[in-house]
Amino acid sequence: MGRLFIKVIIIIIAALLLFIPANNFVKDSYDYNINRDILAFKKNPHPVDIINLGASHSMYGYYFKPTGLSHLDLALPAQTVQYDFKLLKEYGKHLKPDGVVIISISQMTFANFEILDIGNYYEILDHSEIEPFRLLDYYRYMYFPGANGESVNAALSGTLKSYRWDSHKPWANNGKSYAERKYEHVEAQYRQATKKNYVEQNVKQLRKMLEYCKEQGYQVILTMEPVHQTYQEHFDEDVMNRLVFQYLDTLEIDAPFLNYMNDPRFADNKGLFLDSDHLNSEGRKKYSWIVYEDLKKLGYF
Amino acid sequence: MTFISIEFLLFFAAIVFTYYGIPHRWRWVLLLAASYSFYASLSSYFVLLLLASTVFTYFTGMLIEKQETKKQKKKAMLLGICVLLFFLGWFKYFNFVNDSVRALSTYLNWNYAVPYQEIVLPVAISFYTFQAVSYLVDIYKGKQKAERHYGYFSIYFAFFPQLVAGPIERAKKLLPQFKVEQTLNYENLSYGMKRIAWGFFKKTLIADRLAPIVAGVYDSPDPTGSQIVLATILFSIQLYADFSALSDIAIGCTRMLGIKLTENFKQPHFAVSIGDFWNRWHITLSNWLRDYIFVPLCKGKKKRSEIYVAIVITFLVSGIWHGAAWTFVLWGLIHGFYRVFGDHTKHARGRMASFIRLDKSPSLHKWVKIAITFLLVCFSRVFFRSDSVAAAFENARLFLTFSSWKPSGIVEAAEMFSLLDLVIFGFFFVIMQVFHYIERKNASTWTWLSQRPAFARVAVYILIVVSILVFGVSGEGFIYGGF
Repeated sequence: MGRLFIKVIIIIIAALLLFIPANNFVKDSYDYNINRDILAFKKNPHPVDIINLGASHSMYGYYFKPTGLSHLDLALPAQTVQYDFKLLKEYGKHLKPDGVVIISISQMTFANFEILDIGNYYEILDHSEIEPFRLLDYYRYMYFPGANGESVNAALSGTLKSYRWDSHKPWANNGKSYAERKYEHVEAQYRQATKKNYVEQNVKQLRKMLEYCKEQGYQVILTMEPVHQTYQEHFDEDVMNRLVFQYLDTLEIDAPFLNYMNDPRFADNKGLFLDSDHLNSEGRKKYSWIVYEDLKKLGYF
Repeated sequence: MTFISIEFLLFFAAIVFTYYGIPHRWRWVLLLAASYSFYASLSSYFVLLLLASTVFTYFTGMLIEKQETKKQKKKAMLLGICVLLFFLGWFKYFNFVNDSVRALSTYLNWNYAVPYQEIVLPVAISFYTFQAVSYLVDIYKGKQKAERHYGYFSIYFAFFPQLVAGPIERAKKLLPQFKVEQTLNYENLSYGMKRIAWGFFKKTLIADRLAPIVAGVYDSPDPTGSQIVLATILFSIQLYADFSALSDIAIGCTRMLGIKLTENFKQPHFAVSIGDFWNRWHITLSNWLRDYIFVPLCKGKKKRSEIYVAIVITFLVSGIWHGAAWTFVLWGLIHGFYRVFGDHTKHARGRMASFIRLDKSPSLHKWVKIAITFLLVCFSRVFFRSDSVAAAFENARLFLTFSSWKPSGIVEAAEMFSLLDLVIFGFFFVIMQVFHYIERKNASTWTWLSQRPAFARVAVYILIVVSILVFGVSGEGFIYGGF
């Protein structure tokens, strides 16, 4: 029996030794640290002029530093309206009295029901706000992210960006392949969401969040970030009505809605995009200036 | 708590330590408590149903034994089986029958007003009901004595490693093992750990990596033919990896407690005929169906056509057992047809192989048979995986369309994977095939491995553990856990 014990110990030690570099690799990856700005803000909070919520479109959409506004970006990939609301409740107190909350609406807003990585919220939200919160998952995420296959995949994909099928590259076939795959993904997600009643839940959450903003005296605007024309081809007026606007209409929102989705200043300029639906740093700066100026025109700031 | 979780490993480690730390006379209490706790963690609502089924089967078994005449014993047995099947039927098949009758009534313009009922399927009900039926029939046939010790009997009914998805065991194999005092044994512990690790490997590195790809195609409203072909082949691999992993973990866990379960898989995708496939796939269910459905149906039958009817009925039961949907009924019928057709054309096919001289090269002949069997099994799984009969027929049409098999289309369909995922999956799939290859050449890969130098052995174990730790992904439970 002692032999077995020694063997098991050797295997565990060797496995752990091999695991340490893999764990560090994941811990240092961009995806694992995707919430770094929010974490930094949490450690050093200060009053802000603008808070933006939303998913990746919003996360890659705003950079207000050149405008002189202080800004807190609370958007994270695949963030649901439910988590927008949770983050707003947690960080809204830092908004200046005349500050603005940007609620980003995208093609997935009402269909999105699955948090891509709940671990993103462990450090930036109170644990009671995280559903479901499991202690083992928490410790695994915090100390052993290398033991999570999805995190390893994300870290590897981030490092080996060029290691993709041609059709998976953002601008292959002029971005059409990417846009088509994204469209199929959104449609599949929407089908699931309607089947499982998630759309209704998201509408309810958005309504509650808007009511909360009103109670707190926050100034709210809704936005839709610009996308490239290859993306627009799939998400035409009919599709957007079905996925988004029919639900927005039921909310009868008392706030401006700035829809830049088909904005011609972006639509045919690949140089402003990472892929057909996410802005790059240049696009982000340009777009943020436009939003800033439009907000000023509307009497904000 | 599912098998693929740290919670389960900690829970099981605690059970093993306690099991060997307490006197034998108390072990049944530990196993019973562990089994009910495990079941409650999966399906707390239905613990009472499990308890009621156990008590009922326990007393029915004794009642059968007490009867004096064969006729009385049969009556008691049939009563017991009817009650057990009523529970199974109510929870698993009520809505299936209800929906079917409603559809038929609508078609015939009849008035049928029984509404759809929200009925939750109790976890493992199909598995423990079959075990209970075999117990009662074996008592009736005099192959098994009714168990008097309620504790041991309850463990047989609810034994946690094999409760969720088998292997479906017979009382005469399992009960005596519970009663024997198991001692701490190096071989058992070592073998058990390896089997559990191998189960984790197959589940987290093969099955759960394939699951989203397969679901992506089968949930899509308009998949291409090549996508259906590729997704169906991948589904076959997923299903095997998923279900056999469950059996590996069950066998590994029980072995660590000194108990041996029946092997449930023998590389089914290397079967040379459909008959051979069913001797290698879900073996304990195949044996159950043979002993309790097929053999009784064949009793007194001599004509080939009557045997064929028995075969089709047996596969129909197999289909219905798997799931309460017409797609599973069709899947069972397809296998029944395969089996009958295979038997009926056996000699003609032999002659054809001689005519084209395929029998001159036995190895090639064997691989041709393996490939044909695998494709036939894949075709049937289109029905197994599809969500509705209409979707199943459309997917089957795509599967059988010649252009769906164009290599360029298949390569294009492979782009459903990210390139990185494909490489990772491919690597682990090759490891699984190497394992199978060694098993085909030797009796057991683990025995073969134990004859290698210590360094090589430890390296393999480390590879398995690190792979699971770093690359393993965990999905939502096991496919057969839902049956």
